[in-house]
Amino acid sequence: MTSFSSDGRSLSGMNRRQLLLAGAAGSLVLVSGVAPSFAAAKPKVGLVMKSLANEFFKQMQAGAEKYAAENTDKFDFKAVGMKDERDFAAQVDAVENFVTQKYDIIVVAPADSKAMVTPLAKALKAGVKVINIDVELDAGAKKNAGIDLAFFGPDNRGGAKLAGDALAKALGAGGKVVILEGNPEADNAQQRKAGFMDSIAEGKLELLDSKTAHWETEEANTLMTNFLTQYQDIQGVMAANDSMALGVVKALDAAGLSGKIQVVGFDNIPAVQPLVKGGKMLATVEQYGAKMAAMGVDYGLREMAGETFTGWVKTDIKLITAADL
Amino acid sequence: MPEGTERVDERKTGSVWDNFVRISMREAGVAIALVVIVLFFSATAPYFATPENFLKIFVQIAINTVLAAGMTFVILTGGIDLSVGSVLALCTVVGATIMVNPDLSPWVSIPLALIACMATGAACGAINGWVCEKWKVPSFIVTLGMLNVASGLARVVSDNSTITGLPQSFVDFGNQIYFGVLPSIFLIAIVVIVIGWFILRFTVFGRFVFAIGTNEEAVRLSGHNPRIFKIAVFTISGLTAGIAAMVFLLRLNVGSPIAGIGYELNAIAAVIIGGTSLSGGKGSIVGTLVGACILQVLATGLQLLGAEDNVKPIVIGTVIVLAVVLDTYRNRLLRNLEAR
Repeated sequence: MTSFSSDGRSLSGMNRRQLLLAGAAGSLVLVSGVAPSFAAAKPKVGLVMKSLANEFFKQMQAGAEKYAAENTDKFDFKAVGMKDERDFAAQVDAVENFVTQKYDIIVVAPADSKAMVTPLAKALKAGVKVINIDVELDAGAKKNAGIDLAFFGPDNRGGAKLAGDALAKALGAGGKVVILEGNPEADNAQQRKAGFMDSIAEGKLELLDSKTAHWETEEANTLMTNFLTQYQDIQGVMAANDSMALGVVKALDAAGLSGKIQVVGFDNIPAVQPLVKGGKMLATVEQYGAKMAAMGVDYGLREMAGETFTGWVKTDIKLITAADL
Repeated sequence: MPEGTERVDERKTGSVWDNFVRISMREAGVAIALVVIVLFFSATAPYFATPENFLKIFVQIAINTVLAAGMTFVILTGGIDLSVGSVLALCTVVGATIMVNPDLSPWVSIPLALIACMATGAACGAINGWVCEKWKVPSFIVTLGMLNVASGLARVVSDNSTITGLPQSFVDFGNQIYFGVLPSIFLIAIVVIVIGWFILRFTVFGRFVFAIGTNEEAVRLSGHNPRIFKIAVFTISGLTAGIAAMVFLLRLNVGSPIAGIGYELNAIAAVIIGGTSLSGGKGSIVGTLVGACILQVLATGLQLLGAEDNVKPIVIGTVIVLAVVLDTYRNRLLRNLEAR
């Protein structure tokens, strides 16, 4: 500011050369003066995840934090997770807190595809860029709230079908399978079940039973043990996540059936990799959680720069078998 | 006159000054803690001391405050209600199902949903109380059962899905802020607290709640039946869970079978931090409001401060225990004052 006014005052009494010099000096002051304030105006990016007790979100957080550490000059970063992944009211609080703190971008993996629409619409109205990753917000609820948000995430149904197809190929037509579902109200659980059902229909498998073990290892272990008592001829198991697959493999181990009954999972968490390698699990699905959040941040920055995204921007998924590890 | 009521009545005697000191010792302890915490975060956490932030905290405490108000009644009689979170979930899906019915106009469906929420909650609470008293089962066990039953019922009613599409007028009311400082749902919470305070302070029923918590046997021996009062407090707790469900619907605009998970523990924590004794007979509903404020201010303040997710529960847990420890010290002081 001061450099401007001194330039202005001296304009009349100066020759051209002096003027240029003064101007150069002025702009130098201006540049050096602006640079720190430019640094302070770095966009603030908040990542809101589900339960950090879930391996998948731990990977997501680690990936995003690594990306933020590599780009400290481009943006400030903060990640929060929930204690319980079903407590979406806590997630609403987290979003509201980021809005209070005047964050520029909120990257969010919604705990509930419908419930999160209202608070996120409020954030949008407050001028925050919202990037929806992992689980797509409900289309109807978005329409009701009058917002249009792109979705950056994996095809859960397609991914489950990759795993299901691998199982169908291993068993052949007529193979008898059971499904372990995630939380029945969770969108990705419903999509993964639909993907498994696609494989069953296409591969002409026989579905003996499908029940929920709420994403949990211990519950899956109990459920699988009961399945083994109930059905004597199970040949394959489709688990909607790897935590449940772990419980299934333990149940098979206890019954002396591991390796005889084929198991597929989802998420490719580190704990199942030795099982896949050792033949106790047939396959799992990688959805690159670590990359997903970092990419969400990137899309947020691009939106701030003026780009707009709509519809579904699909992120990578890959079938992981023993050959990949 | 039962021994319990005598003790309660005794508080009204003594000089005005003694009363003032006693009451302020009783109520102000937690209030001072709240002020200290608010000042601490105002000084340290960016954006904490902003009008928007306080407005947001008012919104965030509403649900827990309403739940904790009902919980205060139960805990004052020496009981516990673990089912409030699940009952809230059940009521949200019942209320939402009614409100999304396209055949009903909002003028009909909203009051109907309110009545249905309160009736469902009160019914669950009445069952809790009745089973406790009929078969002399500890409330911990009965309400633990109800926690599961209500959760399962919520899933059945909602078919495991989140219910959206509430009437616009309802949603608008939930977003309403009066005079720029009073969010509608916070106002509801305050009304519930005031009604609860009035009942506990000025009605015979309120006196019996304290009396039963202090000495149930004495109430019985004095010829009164504590059973009815105990069923009533559980019914109140269920009723407030139903009201909290309406607040939940106003705030989040969805009914969900997984709403309210763990809320019972937040409600109990608010009551305990607020100075109500878990063994009953002693406490206040105003303290409960302050307790709910402390919990939420801590949660929000810690996030604004940039605390790690894993650190938050450690701090909050410590504060809960600390509050009770300080409470016992305060009691000792109070006793000394009264002995004087």
